[in-house]
Amino acid sequence: MLRYLYRTTGNRQTAEDLFQETFRRVHEKANSFNGNNFRSWLYAIATNLAINEFRKRKRRPEISLEHIAESKNAKCENGNCQFVETLTANEKTEPGAQILREELKTRVWAAVNSLPAKQRLTLVMAYYQQMKYSEIADVLGCSTGAVKTHMFRALKHLRRVLPDGPGGAL
Amino acid sequence: MNGHLSEDKLINYAFDLGSQRQTRAIEAHLQGCAECRGQLEAIRGRFAVLDVLSEDIAVSEALSARVLAEVWGESAADARESATDARQGAGDARDCVVNRGGRRWAAPAWMGIAAGLLVIASVLVINERWKADGVQKKAVSGPQIGGDGGEHTASPEPVFGGAAKGLVAAGAPAELASAGHGVQAEERPPFAPASAIELVVLPRRENVQLTIYNSADLTLVRERRNLTLKKGWNWLQFMWANTLIDPTSLSLEPLEHKDKIEVQQLVYPARLKEIGRWLIRSEVEGQAPFEITYFTSGLSWRAFYMGTLSADEKTMQLNGYVRVDNHSGEEYENAQTRVIVGQVHLLDQIAELARRPYPYGSPIATDMGMMGGMGGFGGGLGMDKGVRYNWFADGDIDRDGVDLYDLNFDALQAIRKVEKEGLSEYFLYTIEGTDTIPNEWGKRLPSFTVDEVAVENLYKYDETRWGTETVRFVSFKNDADHNLGETPLPEGSVRIYRRAGEDGALAYTGGTEFKYIPVNEKAELNLGAARYVRVEPVLMESRTDHYQFDRNGNIDGWDEVQTWKVAVTNTREIGVKVEVFRDFGTPYWDIENSGQFDAFEKEDMDTVKFTVEAPARSKREFVYVLTTHQGTRREAVK
Repeated sequence: MLRYLYRTTGNRQTAEDLFQETFRRVHEKANSFNGNNFRSWLYAIATNLAINEFRKRKRRPEISLEHIAESKNAKCENGNCQFVETLTANEKTEPGAQILREELKTRVWAAVNSLPAKQRLTLVMAYYQQMKYSEIADVLGCSTGAVKTHMFRALKHLRRVLPDGPGGAL
Repeated sequence: MNGHLSEDKLINYAFDLGSQRQTRAIEAHLQGCAECRGQLEAIRGRFAVLDVLSEDIAVSEALSARVLAEVWGESAADARESATDARQGAGDARDCVVNRGGRRWAAPAWMGIAAGLLVIASVLVINERWKADGVQKKAVSGPQIGGDGGEHTASPEPVFGGAAKGLVAAGAPAELASAGHGVQAEERPPFAPASAIELVVLPRRENVQLTIYNSADLTLVRERRNLTLKKGWNWLQFMWANTLIDPTSLSLEPLEHKDKIEVQQLVYPARLKEIGRWLIRSEVEGQAPFEITYFTSGLSWRAFYMGTLSADEKTMQLNGYVRVDNHSGEEYENAQTRVIVGQVHLLDQIAELARRPYPYGSPIATDMGMMGGMGGFGGGLGMDKGVRYNWFADGDIDRDGVDLYDLNFDALQAIRKVEKEGLSEYFLYTIEGTDTIPNEWGKRLPSFTVDEVAVENLYKYDETRWGTETVRFVSFKNDADHNLGETPLPEGSVRIYRRAGEDGALAYTGGTEFKYIPVNEKAELNLGAARYVRVEPVLMESRTDHYQFDRNGNIDGWDEVQTWKVAVTNTREIGVKVEVFRDFGTPYWDIENSGQFDAFEKEDMDTVKFTVEAPARSKREFVYVLTTHQGTRREAVK
């Protein structure tokens, strides 16, 4: 769930806030659960919170932290984030590869974040969370066809803007 | 389908966005069109870059605590509210729904409960993941005082020296474990120890016992701790970071309430290093003593002795010490120390130790007083006068059937007589009392004192071993006549002093190492070259005699005749005994002796020993005439 919120909002702090709020609401609304599909119900709550967050951002734009600073290698204290070297065994042998990978992540994030809200949510649920389109339709409260349309548009957009690979095309 | 597939169609196909009819048509085309198959692969490859964002992210400790606090906090509030409702009593179920009003779903109550449980379960699952990192961090960083959200409590007494290892008892979450006091414990164990629970750092060990096997760098540790259990499921966490503890040897056993406390399993959580968790199911609440046993390396011991000769050098006070060095990474406070002497066949013997049953059941759990009658401890090794022994020795179960491996610390304070039966090839010594042995420290522990060991001062002269120097020995026998003899003496080094003068000042006499001295065997302590006792052999005459000739008239046999005068000079103020060894280098010899010697004996085929009792400040001389037979004379003499 935190992964989902993180990938939709692109901000760790926001994702954590929404994560907390999601479970608070789940608990609060436990009696309203209809017993059909818990995951869809859970995601619906989280997604609504995410959409509200997007709206807030539209009204009050804020600069999100760089993805690198948000990654596992970042250590944040009092809002100041510092890049911390935590190389894995493989990365130790190829420090250059790690730098290229971090750069790639940043560019992919930029591409995903450039998608409209519903397309982004659809992409994250379908691609990263491996949810069925019908499940996503339940979450978003729309038809499966509409979900597929969101997905198709998202992919068309990403086809253009996604980077080629680590370090870019040679 | 004419021509090639468009990019849009390939995207639809790759992500399963089309209808079934469209999908079948595309599949049919792809089977016959290599170019489109290539295009499809290119599209898939284009989007594969999205995978770089598939990295896992962990829920932080703080976040999990926040969520749990919020959810469970409300849960508690709800429970209170429900209780209030219940007390109001009269309202029926329908009223409740109405009173709570505004709900879109009048779903059965179980649905809501199930949903809530699912949420909690998912939180716990997530929670366990971050706990994996969190606990590991704690294990490395030192004493384990639970740390989330201020919900943990620290014991007033931290784990002693807990930099290396610690025990953390973790009760199940209050909502899961206690579910109302007085209720039977849940049958199903919790999935994992939850995080936002009360973690209690245990008080220091009640007792600890070390049995050190030098021959294999192995120590058996038995420690007793009082755990505070909750009714239901409890997790006990054992950490051995930075120590040499063998985690596969860990064992935990309750010493009381054995029928009500069950240690179910020891798990080594994935991704966590140097941590084991015991799952304990308890029907009782409160403190319960537990015994934890395990093997560790890094502890070693070595015996030291100090002998103080009386002024007349006829008796010696012998003090034994054991030096224990601790490089195990763990600190042992107030440890009872036992050392194993002799080569133990460890693969068998240690396994036997670990499995050895209590002869009368667990002594601690049943009757502590029972130990009072058991044999086994120190007790002067069966001697009485002038002996203060603190060791007890044993190779196995003693004659009374008492298992000396039993752990009874109270009983060990009393001196008891040893009835020992040497059934084994090794001996176990227990050092009385307890001592704290910090990590990286060595500590010398007193082990025994025998006031009067009758000793023999002996000087030896043997050119084949020590050249022209006279060497001093202090010898005694490890038997009852010498106030010893109950146990072998472990290998070690010894320093010998002598009382000098009226004021009791000590003079250093010499030191040496000696090997393991079995019971009834003589021990000779080599104190090195002596200056005050000299032995001077002088060749007085040498000639040949009794020639024999072969057929050609050549000499093929003869005798050598040597006359030796040996002078033994004792400049000391006490009489001494001197053994003079003479090696002739051949077994074909005859000897004629004369002069001041007290005994003569053949030591081996080519060596003889003259024994001379030399009074204080005296010089004694003796002469021997040695005839050695050479060549054919050997046969003739035979």
